[in-house]
Amino acid sequence: MKGIYRMNKNVKNGINIFLFLLPGLALFIGVLIAPIFMSFRYSLHDMSLLDPLSKENFIGLKNYVKLFTSGSIPFPKALLNSLLLAALSVFIQLPLSLGLALLLGKGMKGERGFLSVFFMPVLISTIIIGQLWLKIYNPDYGLLTRALWALHILPEGKLIQWLGDEKIALASAFVPILWQYVGYHMLLMYAGVKGVSVDLREAAMLDGATDGQINRYIVIPSIKPIIKVSVIFAVTGSLKSYDLIKVLTDGGPFHATEVPTTVMINQLILRNKAGMGSTIAVMLIVLCFFFAMVINRAFRRED
Amino acid sequence: MKKIVALVLAAVMVCGLCACGETTPASTSTSTSSAETTVSASTETSTEPAPEPAAEQISLKMWCIATESDSNYPSYVKAIEEVTAAHPEINFEWEATENEAYKTKIKAAAAANELPDIFFTWGGAFLGDFVKADRVYCLDDAYKAFAADLPESMLDNTTYGGKHYGVPLTMNVVGLFANMDMLAEVGYTEVPKTYDELIDCCDKLVAAGKIPFGCSGKETWCVTEYIEPLLEKTIGAEELAKIFAKESTWDNPDITKAIGYFQEWIAKGYFDPSGISLGNDEVKNNFLQGKYAFYQNGTWNCADVAAADFKSAVAEFPVIDSSKAKLGQLIGGPSDTLAVAASSPNAEVAANFTFELGRALCHYCYLDGSGLPAWKVDYDTPDINPLTQAVADICNQANGYVLFGDTAMDADTAQIYLDYVSQIYGSKIDGPGFVAGLTDDIG
Repeated sequence: MKGIYRMNKNVKNGINIFLFLLPGLALFIGVLIAPIFMSFRYSLHDMSLLDPLSKENFIGLKNYVKLFTSGSIPFPKALLNSLLLAALSVFIQLPLSLGLALLLGKGMKGERGFLSVFFMPVLISTIIIGQLWLKIYNPDYGLLTRALWALHILPEGKLIQWLGDEKIALASAFVPILWQYVGYHMLLMYAGVKGVSVDLREAAMLDGATDGQINRYIVIPSIKPIIKVSVIFAVTGSLKSYDLIKVLTDGGPFHATEVPTTVMINQLILRNKAGMGSTIAVMLIVLCFFFAMVINRAFRRED
Repeated sequence: MKKIVALVLAAVMVCGLCACGETTPASTSTSTSSAETTVSASTETSTEPAPEPAAEQISLKMWCIATESDSNYPSYVKAIEEVTAAHPEINFEWEATENEAYKTKIKAAAAANELPDIFFTWGGAFLGDFVKADRVYCLDDAYKAFAADLPESMLDNTTYGGKHYGVPLTMNVVGLFANMDMLAEVGYTEVPKTYDELIDCCDKLVAAGKIPFGCSGKETWCVTEYIEPLLEKTIGAEELAKIFAKESTWDNPDITKAIGYFQEWIAKGYFDPSGISLGNDEVKNNFLQGKYAFYQNGTWNCADVAAADFKSAVAEFPVIDSSKAKLGQLIGGPSDTLAVAASSPNAEVAANFTFELGRALCHYCYLDGSGLPAWKVDYDTPDINPLTQAVADICNQANGYVLFGDTAMDADTAQIYLDYVSQIYGSKIDGPGFVAGLTDDIG
């Protein structure tokens, strides 16, 4: 009898929990899951932005094949560019952020001021950052060209099309992206570094450990979960990057700086191809999940 | 007790969610309700004097591209002030978004069938896509009251299947703007009238260390402002219009020839090399600052160029092959348009309001020098700037208009076309490559 009563109580608790979770769950399904399924459904159709879904325009997985085989859709190049940005983020941006976090986390004069300065680009609107860098890169009066002239690195009068030359446009577009988020990752890691026990540091110092050894054997292993989050953000953020590229080059010149999102907008909005645009959206979601899982697994294996 | 509280809270949440949901009143109940009101009002009339019926307030919303930095903004403010003053029963709201962002916004709204009551659009295929998807309200009935002021010939770019769907505002063509002070330095006192003269002028400018042309490569439509007049004056307006309408093929040796001329210009250094990475605003600003001798772009720039610190002029691009093309064949036409959403609950009122607003906008845009009138001019125009006046004279002599290529073509075709135009400007392909590519991809 007592057992049945306890079971009834558990069932009732379960129902209560379910009822409380229901609104959130409905929101999650409605805002996140349903659009993904809808996008997948659209991706199986050859349809315009203004067309309704119909059996007539169902083409199965042809959009996915076309994405990698059609010469007129620069998706493979865009994907490679994104992966390159992801690699640069992981191997240049994050080590830089980690270095700054370790330096500031150790405690130094003007720590707060440095933190604010490094974090400032994150607070400024990306459109403003884009406009700022457009001025820096301007071939006629841009700060960069003028500085190179002044330092005699570039012969005076010689102009460089930082964003107009397809050989260097990609690198030029990536620099502001990497620069903007150094402060963001630095702040995440800085919080972790500050959380490392002072006792541990002091014990290591008593044992004669140098700053480098303390960072290597104590601080970095302690903030590994934060580094993992930063790596996931950096990689998925690279795959999703759009705003700065849009302002700086809009994917040009001659598709040299295309990223998957610019190709998606081109297909979806400019060409009205809802089917192909949705295919790219689904590919992006799949790739983001895939990389997040790979990074998770890599860190787990290391643990 | 805890359970009761929990259940009550859950019930409140569920009710809250339900309350947030959209409720669409059934049309029958609405009509019943209004019928009841009418009946009760008529009953009151029989017993005591009826109060003056207050005009029903109607809300209309408009989206357009006249942001504060847009040359048309002052005209929009004046026109809206004038028309809304005449219609106190209308609560009018308007919202402006920058040109390129607007294209994204309006297409997304059309796809979701959430267009505002009135929206700015471009004629030709851009509006055509919306019409095909039944998103636009037919203006045939509303047009009847305005037919005397708006010639039917101005509605060609917004007529689909014999029905009118747009109210044209102004008409613009591609004009060759010139900095006459720079031209004077190389011995030209007027804009070159023949193609040979133009080439000679550009050669002299280059020899003098000047840049003849400024053109944005970042915004490919700016390159078409150079290429399309070149094509038109080589193959003729009729043939170009057929190619844009897919009634004729790109596989035409004269197109190869015209593109060859364009590539010669690039090779001879006629264009500012920095232009490839600059936006149109930057290029236009460079021209206004005296960096280039010529700037070929839409005549909506007349007011800005006329206000520059140098002596300016505007002319038609010269004829290249007189056996096929002639002066008076222009690129452009009435494209800037207002349309009414089919989903608007007040579409009929919005249609009349749109015609009135269109007429007022045309009036003020013309007076401000940001476009030529698509509507009949029955007012004095003493203060129009000389460049707009010159364009009006050019248009008075016009014998053929070909709508801008990216407006005339459907969205997908236009992007393919712009892609090839961009490659030509970057010298990635040559004339035969341009023709072969477009023939394969478009036809």
